[in-house]
Parts: sequence; structure tokens; C-alpha cells
Amino acid sequence: MKSPAIEIHDLTVSYRDKPVLWDIDATIPEGSLCAIVGPNGAGKSTLLSAILGTIHPASGWLKIFAQEVGKSQELIGFVPQRESVDWDFPVDVLDVVLMGTYSRLGWFRRPGKAQRDWAMECLEQVGMADLNKRQVGELSGGQQQRVFIARSLAQDARLILMDEPFAGVDAATEEAIRLVLLDLKKKGRTVVLVHHDLQTIENFFDHVLLLNLRLVAAGPTAETFTRENLLRTYGGRLTLLDEAAEAVRRIRTGRSRTGRDR
Amino acid sequence: MMISPNTLVILLGTTALGTCCGLVGALMLLKRRALLADAIAHSTLPGICIAFLLGGSRSLAVLGVGALLSALLSATLVSWLPRVTRIRKDAATACVLGIMFGAGIALIGIIQRSGLGGSAAGLDGLLLGRTAGMLRSEALLFGISAMMMSLIILALRKELLVSCFDPRFGLSAKIPARSIDFLQTSLLAATIVIALPAVGVVLTAALVVIPAAAGRFWTDRFDMLLAISALIGAASGLVGTLISSLHADLPAGPVIVLSATTLFIISLLLAPRRGWISRHLQQRSRLQDRQIRQFLDGILNSELEGSSGVARKRQPGITAAIDRRNRLVSSRNGWIKTDSQQIRLTQEGRKRAVRARKALQIWREWLTSEASIDRDLIDLDEQDIEKILPPDLIDTLQRSIDHRGTS
Repeated sequence: MKSPAIEIHDLTVSYRDKPVLWDIDATIPEGSLCAIVGPNGAGKSTLLSAILGTIHPASGWLKIFAQEVGKSQELIGFVPQRESVDWDFPVDVLDVVLMGTYSRLGWFRRPGKAQRDWAMECLEQVGMADLNKRQVGELSGGQQQRVFIARSLAQDARLILMDEPFAGVDAATEEAIRLVLLDLKKKGRTVVLVHHDLQTIENFFDHVLLLNLRLVAAGPTAETFTRENLLRTYGGRLTLLDEAAEAVRRIRTGRSRTGRDR
Repeated sequence: MMISPNTLVILLGTTALGTCCGLVGALMLLKRRALLADAIAHSTLPGICIAFLLGGSRSLAVLGVGALLSALLSATLVSWLPRVTRIRKDAATACVLGIMFGAGIALIGIIQRSGLGGSAAGLDGLLLGRTAGMLRSEALLFGISAMMMSLIILALRKELLVSCFDPRFGLSAKIPARSIDFLQTSLLAATIVIALPAVGVVLTAALVVIPAAAGRFWTDRFDMLLAISALIGAASGLVGTLISSLHADLPAGPVIVLSATTLFIISLLLAPRRGWISRHLQQRSRLQDRQIRQFLDGILNSELEGSSGVARKRQPGITAAIDRRNRLVSSRNGWIKTDSQQIRLTQEGRKRAVRARKALQIWREWLTSEASIDRDLIDLDEQDIEKILPPDLIDTLQRSIDHRGTS
């Protein structure tokens, strides 16, 4: 058993007086590829913020690599939701990726050639190296997403959080992100991401966290990602249609955990 | 024209001042906090009045401390109110601005009535600003501030960039967002307090925001925006002071702000790429390209159907004027040959029409074969399409089109 990358105990987060996350208990083992799944407004992004330390829990605690979130000096790679960024901001692609190197530079020092080379290497990994001089607003949505992924790679952190990296991207970007995720997994990094597409979970992620204000279930995908748990997560919203689609898919893939379903 | 040493001092002072305002303004603009500048500037008034009542002097140092304290108080209120109440940030900013300025005006009234002397007139000067009486020491203070501010911004460039662009990321990277935030607000408050005597309570915010807004038209780079914004601020200070010193009855503040406004309007209209005129021209030429493409495509169509050309009258343009322009541009580029009745494609024109048609066809093929579409990529011209799709993919798509055509 590996030591946990993230330990969440009895976590409650509230916005004003209304709890948006309630009674969360979960551990995410180091080196896993973990998807946070749940309907809209289930508190998925809030949970990421709590792990990141931008929101303070009303009760309970969170530990990252056995250190409390507020006190931990551990770097966390972070890919925000694309909508949360000001794309008109006067900054080019390379500048954004270079931000990933800032925390290791320390105060007052500017990124130099070593940092630029490293940033270019990260851009190369997501297939964006030749666009490094573009202003970020001039990219397509998928390319913007890849820039953020490259920035989180440049951070070279043991733990990386991504808020819906697959939302609204094109096929090329989806493939690029998949490859990056697999590579990170090979290097033993822990990646936690908010994910929407139920179809792709089973064959790709080895850990899931089913969330709907409360924690419905968390654990290895094979045991946790079951129809019963999904029904409890989505309630009536997992429509008959989805169920039928899922049934068909299961028959077709034969619940194989090797191939990728494309 | 002779510039007296006194005027020279003032000129240097306001130029430095403009630089400070431009630098801080750029940071505020990028952080989307331009309104905070307005709130803080107006909020200095009660601080100044209270400092005058307690200190009993008109010395800038005493009044400045009062102004700085009430500026920081209002900045704190603006960030604190939305967190503990249901008031949103814009409403909180507007509330603080109104309340503090109202209190300040009331205090000025009290000071004037209490007969504390003609010095009340000096406080009046703070409303619209006055550069005429600027001392050498004050000008020196402005110069030193501008230099310090540039140094701070240079040294903390990367921290400021993250704090403006993506503060949540800053937290994940252990860059202390709160401290940087506080530093930015302090820089703003300090700049405003220094600018007050020259530009005045009412208009200082304008000198902070306008240069940055104007600078945004000229560049897409962070460092350049800071530099250009500082430059526009400096120019506004210089020109405004010059004009107001030539006409003694014009108050300096409004003239400086009007100079900045002039530069803003010039930027808005004339800046390359982002300026209004250039945008308009770009859009127009894009539209014309598209119309010409359709025009050539129409001729190609009928030539493929076997006719030897298109009658001059039958054309796909929306209006006769568009038709005429399409014809004119196409024949000027050597894409078509016209005789009295017929329009025919030249070799060159045929190549162009075929190329456009092929690119669009391939694009449609790609959009239908790849289920997930990137919405920003749907509406494109042939140049873009050929740039985006890799050559081997173009070949594959072309083959699948050809295949469908033959089967």
C-alpha cells in the first residue's frame, strides 16, 4: 500500500451558511490518476480549491503528503477551468508556461535561459512549441487548455490538480492531454482532475471520487465505479438513455480494462 | 518661448507623477480594479480634512498622512465588505466612494464655516489640483517615487504578473498572493496621495486609469503595457502642465487629464491591429476576400458545367456595388478576363478558386470526421485551414473525399 498523496478527513466547506461540501472522508494514493465525478453543483471545483488551500474548510482537515494544507510547502500543479481566465490579458504562451518555474526561482529572480528551455520542453510535450510567441487570446480553446497543462508540467510538482481539462476541447487536444496524463502516471505523479465524461472513466482512471455534496463513494475504479454508485451520485438525472448507452458499452467492451474505448 | 526654472521644476515633477500613475494604473487595469482607484482617490478627502483639523497646518506632510490613512481604510473596506456581507464588490466600491467623498465635502464645509482661516481655500485647491505652487522639494519627491515604483515593479515583475493573471495559480505555486495584493494596493494609495496636490481628488483616478487603458491598444505584452502606460502618463503630465502654465487661469488637474484623454482617443483610433480604424479595415478586407472567393467560385462552377464563361449580369453578389467591386478587384489581380458580355477565369484565377474550394471541402470533411469540434475553429478561410491541418491529414481527407466522389 502506497502512502496517500491526499488525505481528507471529515471535511465540510460552506459558502456563507450553506454547506457546499459535507462530511468528506477520502484518501487518494500517491501515483494515482484520480477523477472527481458528480453532477453540476456537486462541489467538485470546491473540493479542488480546498485541496489547493484557496478555500478554508468549516470543519475537518486536509493533508497533502502528510502535511496540513495551510502549512504545507509542497508545490501543487494547477490547471484552472478555462472559463476562469482573462484571455485578453497581454501575455504570450511562453510567459504563461514560464509561470510554472516561478516558485522555484524565489523572490526577485527572473527566469533565465534554463527556465526558458525547460518551459519550451514542456510546450513540446503538449505539441505547442511553435506557438510560443502567440498572445494567449489568439489560441483556440483546446490550445489554451494545452498551454495550461504545459504550465503545470513546468511546475514539476508531485501533485497536479486539473479542473475539467477535457471540457470543450478538440480531438487533437484530448489526445495530447491523455498522453500527458499517462506520462505523468508513469513518472509516479499524482493527478486529480474534475471530469465530466462518464464514458471514459473506466478505462483511463484508476481511482474515482463520486461526489454530490456528500461523498458517495471513493476508491479504485473497478470497485467504485458501479452502476449503483452512479445512480446514487446522479439520482434521477442519470437518465434511462444514459443507462442504455452504458449497458451497450459494457457489452461491447466486455469490461476490459486494457483497451482504450475510442 | 522661455521656460522659467520654476516651471521646469514643476514640469519634471508632473512628468514623474504621470509615470507613477501610468505604472500603477496598468497593474490595476490588469487586475480589473480600475474602479478601486476612483474610490481611493475620493476617499482621501475626509482624511485630509481631519488631518487639517487635528494638525492645524496645511503642510503637505500632515495632510498626506491623513490622506494615506483614509485611502488605506477605504481600500480595506472595499475588500472586506463583500467578504462579510452580501454586498458585491462593485456595490461596495461605489458605496465607499460615495460615503467617503460625501463626508469629505461635509468636513470642508465645516472647516470653512468654523473660520479657521483662508487656509480652507488651500483645501479647495485639493479638489481640482494646482501645480503652480509646486515646490522643488515636492518635485523631487515625485521623481524619487517614480524611480522607486519602477524599481519595485521591475524586481517583482513575475510575482505581479501571476497576481494579475491568475491569483489562484499563485497560491498553488506558493507565491504569497495576499502580500502582493497588499503591495499593489499600497502602491496605488501612495501614488494617489502624491498625485493629489497636482491633479486633485476628483481627477487623480482618471490619470491612473486612462494611460493604462490607452496603452492596452498598442501591445499584447505585459512589460510593454507597463512601459507604454508609464510613457503615456508621463506625456500627459508634461503636456498638461505646459498648457496650464501658459494659461494661468486653467487648473492643472483637468488639463492633465484632458491631455491623457487626447492620447487615449488617438490610441483608440489609430493603434495598429487593436485600434478602431485598423480593426474596421481588417474586418472589411476579410469580408471582401470572402465575397471575391464566392464570386470566383461561382464562375468556376459554371465553367465546370461546360459554359465558356459567365454573363456579366448574372453574379452572386448581394448588391450591384459588391458585384462591381468583385469584378474590379479580380481583374486588377489578373484572376478574370472580361470582354463585352462574358467573364472568364484566367489560369491564375482558376488556381485560386480551386484552391479555396478544396480547402473548404477538406475542412468540412475534417469537421464531420472528428466528432469533437473546437468551436473557435469553425469559421475559417482557406489560408487558415491550410495552416491548421497538417499536410498528411490533408492528404488523408482528400483521399476520402475523392473516394466518396468516385463510388
